Amino acid sequence: MASVASPNRPELVCPAGTPAALRSAVDAGADCVYVGFRDETNARNFPGLNFNRKELAEGIAYAHERGAKVLVAINTFPRAGQPEIWHQAVADAAKLKADAAILADIGLIEHAHRAHPELRLHLSVQAAASNPDAIRFYAERFGVRRVVLPRVLTVQEIAAVNARIAPVETEVFVFGGLCVMAEGRCALSSYATGQSPNMNGVCSPAGEVRYTETSQGITSELGGFTINKFAHDEPAGYPTLCKGRFIAKDKASYLFEEPTSLNTLSMLPDLVKAGVTAFKIEGRQRGRAYVAAVVQAFRAGVDAVMAGKPLPDIDLDRITEGGKQTTGAYEKAWR
Amino acid sequence: MTQAHARTGTTPVTPPFSPVLLLGMALKPLRPAALQPLFDAMLKVVRRRHPDILERMADYADKAVCIDPVDLPFVILLEPNPEDPRLTVRRSIEPGEVAATIHGPLEMLIALAEGKVDGDALFFSRRLVIEGDTEVVVALRNAIDGAGIDLIEDMAQELGPLARPFRGLAGAVIGLVGRMREDFETLRAAIIAPAVKDSANQGARIAQLEGELKQLRKAARRGGVA
Repeated sequence: MASVASPNRPELVCPAGTPAALRSAVDAGADCVYVGFRDETNARNFPGLNFNRKELAEGIAYAHERGAKVLVAINTFPRAGQPEIWHQAVADAAKLKADAAILADIGLIEHAHRAHPELRLHLSVQAAASNPDAIRFYAERFGVRRVVLPRVLTVQEIAAVNARIAPVETEVFVFGGLCVMAEGRCALSSYATGQSPNMNGVCSPAGEVRYTETSQGITSELGGFTINKFAHDEPAGYPTLCKGRFIAKDKASYLFEEPTSLNTLSMLPDLVKAGVTAFKIEGRQRGRAYVAAVVQAFRAGVDAVMAGKPLPDIDLDRITEGGKQTTGAYEKAWR
Repeated sequence: MTQAHARTGTTPVTPPFSPVLLLGMALKPLRPAALQPLFDAMLKVVRRRHPDILERMADYADKAVCIDPVDLPFVILLEPNPEDPRLTVRRSIEPGEVAATIHGPLEMLIALAEGKVDGDALFFSRRLVIEGDTEVVVALRNAIDGAGIDLIEDMAQELGPLARPFRGLAGAVIGLVGRMREDFETLRAAIIAPAVKDSANQGARIAQLEGELKQLRKAARRGGVA
């Protein structure tokens, strides 16, 4: 098993939805790549995406030969009485010598801790553990070594959490899509489609999404409900309900969240000072061009911070959702 | 824009002013069947070198997809049945014939197939338009992106001793297209320069009028007029 990163030098944890994306991430400078199996055990259960067991074995070999690690996300919640495919996923991750499994469900974490004590465990963002008491519970009871923090804390709050949970590591998102709800507890997609990221591994399943071109622009529908309309020259976003545009008081607006991407490149020095162990890039559903571009940018950013050099000025606008970027809860600039 | 596309209404993507657009106009008199051997060969190569594409598409074997290069007078019908996949060049396709349609300029579609651009980013910026069954389009995008296709290298690997001259020829063509693209951009800028100037003048005039309107409204409010 690969060693834990130095607390002084954050790991860059990068997404891969396919073997080609994994190779792109490693080649672009990822310290870790996180992936999922091709089934409902992971929260990016999208058509044509993810890894079968053979592909994962090859991916792990490719990464390990180049000094990178592979983390396997098994971060959905098993159906009551039917935990078999989740247990099998954990067993296969351990057997294939993944460097860690990223889990969300407390029952699955208990199973993994008991049945595969050699497997390093990370707590998924889907578990929504955001305070020292919750984090210490997972660490002390199940040996969880790292926690992916929900995207709701400021940098100061992250520093305060880190000060109270050592030696448990924290991993924070630094780029990509945002969830507006308490992570792991969002049921918006279920109301419109009967499926959710928590149980089925997919928010706004593609089979429920329709785009229709009209003379005014494009209309997006989810489960038969119109959730947005974009004019011809207006940047579009993902077809999720949280980013739907709804009419209230005769005005159409984004009631929950605008289509926008998290980008904390400018905040990397602050996050390093806050004691974060790993920086996570969202986007296993994105193509390898996205993976390569974002990993290169953040590799350059982390290296610059660690070398005490100025941050590189890298424009990632072209790959952001809605053509917009935010530092999200890390600054809470709306307060 | 050519007349050769599966359309459900309005024109979804305006083709860029590019060498491909010119090529498309030149190819217009050509019968699609004349291009079919090229697509048969491409499918054969991709099928042999990237069998995982069809494996990832296994759940969508009966879902045909129309790929619409908006700057060419043809569309391509993809039938992803793993047992008998087909890539057929057609003049047009009726919307009911396919599960989904993908519209975009040829060069962008090639870059997408080779993983050089991100499909979501193209969609966000509206340069790529999809219609119909989103699930099959997402599956196809993921399957192709995951395969690591390199069209020139894939073809070269199949040509044995001719690989080297093929690579040289392909490199020369790509270089030529790149230079032509720059010339086209210069030409385009020259053609639209008067319109851009007019538009800038009109924008300035509108801004001025808006300012005046604002002042008038302020004055009206001060005077007690609604």
